[in-house]
Amino acid sequence: MRYLLFVPLILFVALAQVATAPYFPLLGVRANPLLVLLMCWAVVRRPRETMVLIPLAGAFKDLITTDPVGVSVLALLPIVPLAAIRERRPMESDFLPTLAVVAVASLSYHLIYMMVLTAVGDGPPWLQSPMRVLLPAALFNALLTPIFYLPVRWATMLSEMVRPSIRVPS
Amino acid sequence: MRTLVWVLVVGLVALLGIALSQLGALDPFKNGALTVASPLERALRTAASPAADFLDNTTDRQDLEDENRLLRQQIEELTAEIAHLKEAQFTAADLAELAEVEESRPDDQLVVARVIARDPSNLKERLAIDHGSSDGISEGMVVMSEGGSLVGVISKVLDDFAWVILITDPNSNVNAMVLESRAQGVVSGSLHDGLSMDLIPQDAEVEPGNTVATSGLGGNFPQALLIGQVAAVRGEQQDVFKKAEVEPAAGLSRLENVLVLTSFTTIHLESP
Repeated sequence: MRYLLFVPLILFVALAQVATAPYFPLLGVRANPLLVLLMCWAVVRRPRETMVLIPLAGAFKDLITTDPVGVSVLALLPIVPLAAIRERRPMESDFLPTLAVVAVASLSYHLIYMMVLTAVGDGPPWLQSPMRVLLPAALFNALLTPIFYLPVRWATMLSEMVRPSIRVPS
Repeated sequence: MRTLVWVLVVGLVALLGIALSQLGALDPFKNGALTVASPLERALRTAASPAADFLDNTTDRQDLEDENRLLRQQIEELTAEIAHLKEAQFTAADLAELAEVEESRPDDQLVVARVIARDPSNLKERLAIDHGSSDGISEGMVVMSEGGSLVGVISKVLDDFAWVILITDPNSNVNAMVLESRAQGVVSGSLHDGLSMDLIPQDAEVEPGNTVATSGLGGNFPQALLIGQVAAVRGEQQDVFKKAEVEPAAGLSRLENVLVLTSFTTIHLESP
């Protein structure tokens, strides 16, 4: 039932990213709000829901861009293992580790994306990429984290109050 | 264990999807998704454009923005006209060459298309337009701005949509020449570093403000199609080639409509 809300929300974020991200560059790169939201989601609400959302959001994004269908799904896959690793190392604060995993997820996203593009003959210049794309994008996406982390956190707390039987990680 | 199984299964399905995409088997789905998504994308883009304009430090006053856009278009049209006139001046001396140029460029047939999306990737510079194979668009066709300068090439065609690889894309290479000195080179895109013209002979005279246009070499582009102006020249005396930074004539970041040159056919040269 909850996926009736989650799926349209995540598809809307994917659509909004495709429509508007090219017009809001920072540090010479475009943000990846979809990745940031999914990573925050996986950390705050545990990875189970993102295991459903990642294939849907990734495939939808690929359908409306030039990418081969599946490349974004592959590039978003590390979110789940990263969230699982984060779960095994609980810390007092959830926010700082989330910043770190968003940055790592951004790096892995671009590396996988570049590998697939290279494999299909549309590869970017690898030597220029670390300084011009990978690191600035990781920083930009990390900067975006509070925008997505806080609403996900508050929504989760709210749902916990409404339904106290659902355990939410602190 | 569950995570590992999920990663493997989803990863394999994604790889299958990539393979099917490469074979074109998913093109109808892409066409359908774009049909549904493009009006929503346009609405979102329109809603976000005031903020984008503000952040872009252009202006948040609509009238100034419209005036600026009009003036930029006029400048672009005039610069394109100058490029053609300069080209005509050079080629008029050689009637045979002129005849050849005219033969390779019959009356231009253009299709006006609306830009419906930009690729959000950090590694590509591509646009989607609202015309596809059903409108006579095919891969390799040259795309120009409303002002007549080079924008890019059609890279992928669906039934009702097509993708354009911009000249600023890292995988874009255009044989070009500096009209004032006839120096030839290759204009290439890069990752967020604009356009650059490489392989310019060291002894060629190239200065900031010079006009760069397509040379027609290789047969992928018509001759004397305006690309932009030289912004700076780099290279030491001991270098084999010079390099020039080129400012594109077309406002590639805010294109709304483009012209697809359907009458120009790419010449495929066979190796000797």
